[in-house]
Amino acid sequence: MNYFLQQVINALGWGSILAILAAGYTMTFGIIGLVNFAHGEVFMAGAFAAYFILTVFELPFWLGVIACLAGSVIIGLIIERIAFKPVRGAGLITLFITSLGASIAVRNSTVIAFSDRLRSFVFPEFLKGIYQFGGLMIQKKVLVIFLVTVAICAVLLYLVKKTKVGIAMRSISYNSRMAESLGINSEKIIIITFIISSALAGIAALLWGVLFGSIQASMGALAVVNAFIACVVGGVGNVFGAMVSGYILGVGGALFIAFLPPDLVGLRPLFVWIVFFILLILKPSGLFRANIR
Amino acid sequence: MSTVPLLELKGVVAGYGKMDVINDISIRVNQGEVVTLLGSNGVGKSTTLRTILAQTDLKKGEIKYNGENVTNFPTYRIAALGISYCPEGREIFSNLTTKENLQAGAYLLKSREELEKNLDRVYSLFPILKERSNQIAESLSGGEQEMLAIGRSLMSSPNLMLLDEPSLGLAPQLVELIGTTLREINKAGVSILLIEQNAKLALEISNYGYLMRKGTIVLEGKAKDLVTDERVKEIYLGIVKV
Repeated sequence: MNYFLQQVINALGWGSILAILAAGYTMTFGIIGLVNFAHGEVFMAGAFAAYFILTVFELPFWLGVIACLAGSVIIGLIIERIAFKPVRGAGLITLFITSLGASIAVRNSTVIAFSDRLRSFVFPEFLKGIYQFGGLMIQKKVLVIFLVTVAICAVLLYLVKKTKVGIAMRSISYNSRMAESLGINSEKIIIITFIISSALAGIAALLWGVLFGSIQASMGALAVVNAFIACVVGGVGNVFGAMVSGYILGVGGALFIAFLPPDLVGLRPLFVWIVFFILLILKPSGLFRANIR
Repeated sequence: MSTVPLLELKGVVAGYGKMDVINDISIRVNQGEVVTLLGSNGVGKSTTLRTILAQTDLKKGEIKYNGENVTNFPTYRIAALGISYCPEGREIFSNLTTKENLQAGAYLLKSREELEKNLDRVYSLFPILKERSNQIAESLSGGEQEMLAIGRSLMSSPNLMLLDEPSLGLAPQLVELIGTTLREINKAGVSILLIEQNAKLALEISNYGYLMRKGTIVLEGKAKDLVTDERVKEIYLGIVKV
């Protein structure tokens, strides 16, 4: 039992990162039907911005927080402007392909410019150390990541559920033409959605750096596939569903290999796909209801 | 008359893509009036409303609101002028609750108090919506959804309402209720441009009417004169002229 609980605790860090990434992913998917494979690169951009501030220039941590947000939001908005805005309303496949193109372009230019080697990510001392509870251990940073994520999820849910902008987002996701005739400027709301979604990717990137202690140019590739699956599992556009699914995939993946024989540990990436295919067969609309809710 | 009409369409030609649906349409709605567009299915009534909302391709003509040329305004700015829209088929946001649908309708309002005031007003017009306020809108019945669509278009404190077939597919007592409600809304000072397949209802509550055929206006006049007009009867009452 302790072994099981310990595995769950260890996986909370990765689960949190997935939850935040998936929440941001699902918002743009829900509002303009964008399967955004460039979300991983928005994520990577935030990680690099924070890396330069914290590791290269050794500036204070709060500047790293600002840097990851700024890096992701700027890249996110540039990609939106160049790759998505010109094909707005063109349908799922077109958007999917341009996002793939944007993803490849950004990732490979970064690899060319900085190479794809692992770079150590410096984070402050107060995030190091381990707490003990009975027989269980939790790393300080995992606890902090988890708490930060819960707080962010709460704020995001409040924003989507209760505020004017949130209601506007959800009405556009269902019927943008009708929303416009109520006076909602859908273009403006879409940009706001991109800013929020990118900022979430930036936070996830910072948490990734703290959790794993390193970043690299291709880090978005794995993350975005997981976020995409979490988004579909949670019901496209359902922010709460995406968060829960992020944790399900993160924690489930850890348990999956924890109970596999050691020589099969290489099968770890299989877990999300197993969940994905079972879901597509049994409940293709996702565990929770679709459309931004 | 020297007064500036609230809404004026002058020689409007519009449609979808290359296809023109309405041709040379001129309509006036004066402040405080209920004006109705009559005509059988497919003559371009809905297209006329959608053209006012900038949701069609306008080829020629002018749209003026309070004397201001608003022809090339995007949809959301048309709404910001004080024009609200209740589309055919309701188009409520099924993914939102009843209350959230009404809040979406109040998007343009600046103050919280006004939102609450309008919410109370809609709930007093349609008490059933208050009971359903936290229910997901797709679970409402057809009649409730129509009330919600009308309620939503009232939430922005509009000056002019564009209503497309509000009584379509509703039970007779509901049609009655919608009619009374529209009269009440109008009495509160809101002008209405109405499309309604129920010509009797439409002409009862209207001041003025236009009859459309094949994308153009073939007849216009005071509602009380139109009631007795043979061409109007022909379309709506199924009376075939011998």
